[in-house]
Amino acid sequence: MPTLQHVCQVIYDSHIGTAIRESDYAFSIIESVHVLAITLLVGTIAVLDLRMLGLILRGISVTRISKTVFPFTWTGFAIMFVSGCLLFWAEAAKNYSNPAFRVKLVLLALVGLNPLIFHTTIYRRVHEWEVLQYSPWRARAAALASLLLWSGVIVAGRAIAYF
Amino acid sequence: MLRVWFVSLAHSHLGQYMQTSKWGFAIVETVHLLALAILGGAVLIVDLRLMGVILKKESMRQINRDLSRLLLGSLIVMIASGVAMVSEEALKCYYSPAFRWKMALLATAVLFYFTFHRRAVLRQSEDRRFTDGIVATISISLWLGVGIAGRAIGLL
Amino acid sequence: MKLRSFAAFAGALAITSAAYAHHSFSAEFDGTKPVRLVGKITQVQWTNPHSYFYVDVVDAKGAVTNWGCEGAGPGALSRRGWKKGDLKIGDTIVVDGYRAKDGSHLVDARRVTLPDGRSVYGGTPGDGGPGDDGTIQGAPQNSGPKK
Repeated sequence: MPTLQHVCQVIYDSHIGTAIRESDYAFSIIESVHVLAITLLVGTIAVLDLRMLGLILRGISVTRISKTVFPFTWTGFAIMFVSGCLLFWAEAAKNYSNPAFRVKLVLLALVGLNPLIFHTTIYRRVHEWEVLQYSPWRARAAALASLLLWSGVIVAGRAIAYF
Repeated sequence: MLRVWFVSLAHSHLGQYMQTSKWGFAIVETVHLLALAILGGAVLIVDLRLMGVILKKESMRQINRDLSRLLLGSLIVMIASGVAMVSEEALKCYYSPAFRWKMALLATAVLFYFTFHRRAVLRQSEDRRFTDGIVATISISLWLGVGIAGRAIGLL
Repeated sequence: MKLRSFAAFAGALAITSAAYAHHSFSAEFDGTKPVRLVGKITQVQWTNPHSYFYVDVVDAKGAVTNWGCEGAGPGALSRRGWKKGDLKIGDTIVVDGYRAKDGSHLVDARRVTLPDGRSVYGGTPGDGGPGDDGTIQGAPQNSGPKK
C-alpha cells in the first residue's frame, strides 16, 4: 500500500476517527457546522470579490470592505478547517480514493494561492485604486478566480458523497 | 400545508423529472448550496451593519440597496431549487418535522425581513437605536434557524 | 429475543431515509429491480453517513455472492432502538430491497420478511421509494418482490 494511503488508513482506524465515524450525533453535528460555516467563509469573501468586480457597494473603498470582512472570513476558515479535519479524521481511508475529495484539495490549494499572488502584486498598490468603482483588471481577475474556485470547492465537497 | 399540494407537486412534470433523473437532485442541491453561501454573506453584512458592528461610517441605506438585491436574488434561487428538491421527495418532506420547522422559520424570516427589518434599515436618520440590534439579532437567528432545520431534514 | 432484535435490525436497516439528505432513492437505486436476499452476515459497518451490512448469499448452484445493504446512519438506527453489536457476524437475515442502478451487488433494503412469514415495512412515509404511499405501513404486499 502506498505510504500516503497507509497513513490515511491509520488515521481512519484511530480511536477518535472511529468514534466520530460511528457516532450517533457527533458526525452529523460536525458536518452541519462545516456546511453552515460556508456562509461565513465564502459568503463574506464573495462580498469583497463582487465589490472588486464593480457589482456592489461601489461607493465604499475596497480596503474598507476587505478590512471589514477579513475577521469573519478568517473565522469562517478556522471553523471550516477544524471541522474539515475532524471529518477527514473519520473518513480518511475512504477520502484517499475519492476523486471528488482529491479535486477539492487541489481547488483548496489554488484558492489559497490566488490571494497570495493577489496580495503580493496588485494589492500592494491598492491605495491607487481602492476607491475606483471597478478595480484594475488584475484585481478583477483575482476576484473572479476566487468566486469560481470557491464554487468549485463547494461543488467538489458536495460530490464527495456521490463517489 | 395541504397534503394534496405535495402530491400534486410529486406528480407534476418537475416532480417526474426529478424523481427519474440520475443527476438532477445532485445538481439542484448544489445550486441550493451555492446560493446559500451568497444569502448568508448578504444577511451577515447587512445585519452586522444594522447592529453597528461594522462599516459604521457608511450609510445603512447604501449598503442595504446593493446587498438586499443580492439577498433577494439568492433567496429566489434557493426557493426555486428548494421546490425542485421537494418535488423529488414531496411526501417525505410533508411528513418531516424538520421540513415543517424549516418552512415555518423561512416564512417568519421573509415576513420579518419585509416588515420590522425593512423599517429599521430604511429609517432616514442615521442614529443607531437599541431596537436595531434586536432586529438584527432576530434576523440572523431566523435565517440561521432555516439553515439548521434544512440540514436536519436528512437526519431526523 | 433474537427474533426481536433481528426484526429491529431489519426494520432499521430498511430505513434509509437518512440517505435522502444527499441523494434521492431514484438517483442510486432502481425501483424496477426488486431483489430478495437471504444470507449470513459477513461484515457490519456501523458508520456515518450510512451503515452498510454485507451478506453472503448462496444461490441454487451453491455459488456464494457477497451483497451489500445500505442503511441509515448510527443516529437514526439508534433512535429506532438498534445498537452497534446487536447484529453479529454469522446471523442469517432476509432483506427485500432494490438494486443499485449501476448493477453492483448493492441494495437499498425496504421491506424485510421474517423467517416466520411476517413482513416488516422499513421505509419512511413519503421517502419516495417503492412501497411508499405516505403511510407508516406502506402499500400492501405488492410493494415487495414477488415470492
